[in-house]
Amino acid sequence: MGLPSKDRIRAKLKAGDTVVRLLLSHPMHTGRAKNKAEELIPAEFIQDIRCWRNNEEVLTIKCGTATSRNPYFSFNLVGGEQGDKIAIRWVDNMGAKGLVETDVK
Amino acid sequence: MTDLINTPRRTILKGAISVSTLALVAASGLLLPQRLLAHWPIDAFNAESVEDALLVLLGQAEVAEDSLLQFKVGSPPSYAVNGASVPIEIRSELKNIERVAVLVEKNPFPLAMSLDFTPAVKLPFKSMIKIREDSLVIAVIRADGKLYKTSRFVEVDIGGCG
Repeated sequence: MGLPSKDRIRAKLKAGDTVVRLLLSHPMHTGRAKNKAEELIPAEFIQDIRCWRNNEEVLTIKCGTATSRNPYFSFNLVGGEQGDKIAIRWVDNMGAKGLVETDVK
Repeated sequence: MTDLINTPRRTILKGAISVSTLALVAASGLLLPQRLLAHWPIDAFNAESVEDALLVLLGQAEVAEDSLLQFKVGSPPSYAVNGASVPIEIRSELKNIERVAVLVEKNPFPLAMSLDFTPAVKLPFKSMIKIREDSLVIAVIRADGKLYKTSRFVEVDIGGCG
């Protein structure tokens, strides 16, 4: 993807665990809404989000159309230390993909 | 007499052809997108009732509806002005969590999201979901082969599944 990604991620140590917060930039069309010309907007939503910590896959989130626009997720990873690499990859039903990475602070 | 013999034979031939055509289509890569997303449980997400979605996603298991699972929906709890983004939060001290699912009973497709855990992941999990109308919202955790299920009724002012 040539465009700079607007997806945001933060990973922070808190009480020994890693708190990951993730905000993706995606319209999440359900396929039921109509635009101003009363035409249905085709479904376009993120289906699969995977999280890696230092090349180890730790979490898979599967979404249906009921996930909000610009999806937000927050979860914890057991342990972890400063400088751990957290990577998120997502793919939507149209095949669009995204990658967001950060270091644990 | 010949007719009597031939009719079933023709049907058998026809059947064989359609099966092999299907196999060809599958092999030719037309179904590739589905295969790439093979891990997206389409049957569960397209199920139109909570029971079906749960059965497909989590299978048959003993359901323990109890207090080991804390679940918050909406802010303030049980209320949402805008159904297009309702905060949810799942907490639990359960060990060996395999899968977590969130379902909205009155949505066209109840299953909202499903998480596959590894031992490296810990709750709480927070996110935002869409809710069409006043509805029960259900959280289910599968841990150690048991299902833990809890639900909250949420009032929604503006439906969010447009």
